[in-house]
Amino acid sequence: MRRYFRTPFSRVPLLGWLAGILIAVALERLAGAPLALALGLTKVPVLFGFVIMLKKPALIPSAVLYVLLIYAAPTAVVTRLSISPANRLAAWLVRLPMAIPVAVHLGLLYAALHIWAEISDYRVLVLKLTLIAVMVTLSLNVINGYMGEFSCSHPGFMAIGAYFASVFTVGLFVNDQFFGAVFLPQALGPFLFPIALILGGFLASFGALAVAIPSFRTRGDYLAIISLAFLFIVKSLIENLEFVRGPRGLSGQPDWATLPTVFLWTVLCVWSINNFVRSTVGKALNAVRDNEMAAGAMTVDTRRTKIVAFLFAAFWAGVAGGLFAHVLRYVNPSTFGIQKLAEVLAMVYFGGLNSVYGSIVGAVSISLLGEALRPLEIFKWIIIPLLLILVMIYRPTGLIAFKDLDVTALLQPKRKPEEEA
Amino acid sequence: MRTRSLVGVFVLAGFLAFVPSGWVQAQTIKIGINAPLTGDIPKVGEGTKFAAQMWLEDVKAAGGLTVGGKKVPVELVIEDNESKAESAVKAATKMITEDEVLVMVGPQASKQAIPAGGIANNYKTPMVTPWSTNPDATKDRPYVFRACFLDPFQGPVLANFITEQFKFAKAAVLYDVASDYPKGLAEFFKMAWERLHGPGSVVAYESFTTKDTDFSSQLTKIKNSGAQVLFTPQYYNEVALIVQQAHQLGWKNPIVGSDSWGSAETVSLCGKDCYGLFFSTHYAAAGATGATKEFIIRYQRKHGYVPDDVAALTWDAMGLVQKAIQDTGGLTGDLKKDRDNVRSALSQIKNFKGITGDMTFSGGGDPSKCAVIVQISDKGEFEFYKSACP
Amino acid sequence: MVIFLQNLVNALQWGSFYALIALGYSMVYSILMLFNFAHGDIFMVGSYIGFGVSMGLIALASSGLVAMPNWLILVLTILFSMFLTSFVGMIVERVGYRPLRDAPRASAAITGLMIGIILETGNLALLGARRVSFPSLIETTTYDVSGVFVTNKKIMIVVVSLLLAFALHQFVRRTRWGMAMRAMAFDFAVVPLMGVPVNTMAALTFAIGSALAAAAGILFGVAYPVLDPYMGILFGWKAFVAAILGGRGSVMGATLAGFLLGFTEIFVAMIFPSTLRDLIAYSIILLILTVRPHGFFGEPYSARLRL
Repeated sequence: MRRYFRTPFSRVPLLGWLAGILIAVALERLAGAPLALALGLTKVPVLFGFVIMLKKPALIPSAVLYVLLIYAAPTAVVTRLSISPANRLAAWLVRLPMAIPVAVHLGLLYAALHIWAEISDYRVLVLKLTLIAVMVTLSLNVINGYMGEFSCSHPGFMAIGAYFASVFTVGLFVNDQFFGAVFLPQALGPFLFPIALILGGFLASFGALAVAIPSFRTRGDYLAIISLAFLFIVKSLIENLEFVRGPRGLSGQPDWATLPTVFLWTVLCVWSINNFVRSTVGKALNAVRDNEMAAGAMTVDTRRTKIVAFLFAAFWAGVAGGLFAHVLRYVNPSTFGIQKLAEVLAMVYFGGLNSVYGSIVGAVSISLLGEALRPLEIFKWIIIPLLLILVMIYRPTGLIAFKDLDVTALLQPKRKPEEEA
Repeated sequence: MRTRSLVGVFVLAGFLAFVPSGWVQAQTIKIGINAPLTGDIPKVGEGTKFAAQMWLEDVKAAGGLTVGGKKVPVELVIEDNESKAESAVKAATKMITEDEVLVMVGPQASKQAIPAGGIANNYKTPMVTPWSTNPDATKDRPYVFRACFLDPFQGPVLANFITEQFKFAKAAVLYDVASDYPKGLAEFFKMAWERLHGPGSVVAYESFTTKDTDFSSQLTKIKNSGAQVLFTPQYYNEVALIVQQAHQLGWKNPIVGSDSWGSAETVSLCGKDCYGLFFSTHYAAAGATGATKEFIIRYQRKHGYVPDDVAALTWDAMGLVQKAIQDTGGLTGDLKKDRDNVRSALSQIKNFKGITGDMTFSGGGDPSKCAVIVQISDKGEFEFYKSACP
Repeated sequence: MVIFLQNLVNALQWGSFYALIALGYSMVYSILMLFNFAHGDIFMVGSYIGFGVSMGLIALASSGLVAMPNWLILVLTILFSMFLTSFVGMIVERVGYRPLRDAPRASAAITGLMIGIILETGNLALLGARRVSFPSLIETTTYDVSGVFVTNKKIMIVVVSLLLAFALHQFVRRTRWGMAMRAMAFDFAVVPLMGVPVNTMAALTFAIGSALAAAAGILFGVAYPVLDPYMGILFGWKAFVAAILGGRGSVMGATLAGFLLGFTEIFVAMIFPSTLRDLIAYSIILLILTVRPHGFFGEPYSARLRL
């Protein structure tokens, strides 16, 4: 196995993989539909054929063949063939200032995602919500993983961000009977949208003070219920705010959360959280988690560390909430309840504690599983929890725990083994 | 060798790109059902699904839907929206763009129908929500329709009925603050009542939160407020608890409800406590005649219980869709054009004889429809009392 | 005054549910230091088992084979269901918690959450979406004590839950098993060296916790006779609040905190507009914890916690 699958690809740099994936999705764009028809599938399989396989078992071979022909084979061929040019290019790129290779890789990734998603609006929607899930999961991991608390307030932070951003955009740019006439022209909107998100994030941070300040004196279980109380309070507060229409929810948000916007924000979020957890504050967070008293003795300002972590995590949850509201173009308070909490917790612990990689993997896999298993209807909610339990039993800290994103190492070309020695 | 295989791949890709994509398929009509099969209100999802499947059986038995003189097979695309707004949006997007449904029926609850309606309208796909009574679901959305009446109509109907029937002047309201339907209706009722009896005539306006089961504190307040009647626009599972607890706390005045009471389970859960109470609804199961009765009997035989209003309204929504498709006079095969045709046919439907009453659309998405006041008899059956038309 | 007394009665009944569920939660929480997020759903399962058992017994009684008055049916239902549900608890422990005993606590909390979802969905898949109506085993009699209305059910519920709390307290304080459990709560690592069968004790803890949840489920069915698969979720989270608020390792603390939660919810709705109930009730809890960061009877946080 190893000889055939691992070794030939061991020297492929990230650049090569991205190029391979890009070629594969471009191929799907060009030849996906006719190939699908030729294989007896009526349309391009939307999520790697899962939905088709579960709905019509007779089509399993065709779906598998499609995935092999469109995704697996081209990616494998291209990456294998491009090893040496990709490595040379990567080596050349990393010598340039850091920003350039990063931009190139991100550009390739975005191009691949964009081409993949463009085939169907359903893919775009799933992709957007997945990226938002990545943001929320990461920001929760800062508290639940890096700081080692069990915080239940994240949906509350999301709700604050979502409502603030919605009030901002709906109030200023949409003619709405609740906020009066349009104040600003639509054309300004996309430029002011980031401001709405950032302000929403700040407001969520401000709300987080309600959880952060008690955290000075208490920890663990007691903090867990403080954060749970916070969640209930936020939900109840919004239900009682008549000007955002209470439980009936707020709709009519302008369609500004496009795929590039969401992608950019996600990249920003991953980048800043990754830097945060690798910084001194991040290490201090781990110290506070492992032993607060010892951390204090080692001159870690535990209060400052805790409050910074809470505010930072809440900020990103708030931004994610704002994007979420503009993707759905509707928010209501009951979206941000216990159900959402269970979902986000599952993503964090499935992916892996204390890990940027893990959060990304957890959020992506649970979001995609949730969509791919749709045809199972009720049984979906038996299969997914079972899978999670199995992961927890065999890998109690999650799939990929304790692993940050080392960007420099990621971008490096892969040398031949003898060169390394 | 390497370059040769690379060239091979591209040549293959090029060939595939030129395979003619105008593949002729057997034409079928796909109808999407967006229902909450899991989540908070699985019962609603079940009723939707069963009613839609019963409709499909009928169509299949007839050998397909007769459109423009041709029999066209019909297929249902049932998706679970988990009773969540985001999942309803995903399901709607999926069935519209991937499964290419001609019409979407559902979602039921307003909190899913409002965002999903936005999607349907964006993709210019007609959507019929059987049960969502929130005005926002269809407002400014030419492609979204509903099969029920609206809260602003039902609130005054009930206020007028109570005033005429009992000659009361002081009312109390108990509703779920976290759920949009009860909250909306409670507000419209309060408005209508205060218009009739002057400000302050709603002497107690109390609320609770979804999933609560104890209402004793609120009911104690209501009882001591001097209210003569209690209006509670709640779902049937809560109705049973509210009525029983009110009686246990010594409340002896009438309790009046809204269309959400109209489920067979109201009586089976509530028992004797609910006998003699009035509520407004879409149809009365006990006094039913003709097609309504036929539907009830069939449903009960198949699934073991009397269908509730969701099932009946879904049945009517399917009927509306069927009529609209047939009214188009034939499918062109071009999905976009067909969807437009169905939309304009829907908005033109006049005097549709549904099992929940006659419906007439006049250009917009909301039917004009009569409400029925029903009394729960001493045998636990819903008896027709009077009807109120707009 | 009448309003106050009436609400006092209401709060006693509502609080005794929270207390009873918090008790079961607190067993697992204090002794094994686990967040048992499946507890609310075990409560739901207990309630459904109670429904099944009571229907069976009613059928048996009405067939004329065995003559049983209704109160006897109720007592038997409670006992049988507690017994049956304790097995559910033990299975949950074996599947979801034992393999994770050395893992981070939060991971076990997630398995609990997932088991809860499986129980809910399993119920939905098995029994369909119908809500079931719990049989009314005792006829409701309402007593009017100078304007305050009390029913016989209310009295029974309060009495039974206090009795169970007292029994559990005695069990934990007086018996050898109870001593072993307290020892486990004190130091999980050393206890096995003293010859305490940790696995058996953990299973027993779950069994007792689940049996209490079943008792709460049946009393719930008697008082609020509408059962649905998702009824346990909110109860589970509120019991979580009460159990922790009561403090670790304190049966009486959990009982008190349960009552406190019930009283807060009822009295907030009495004094303030009831739309603001959750907002104010949870703000009060947040304030209590800000002032008393370790609950009522809990020990201050120590580094020994197995996080």
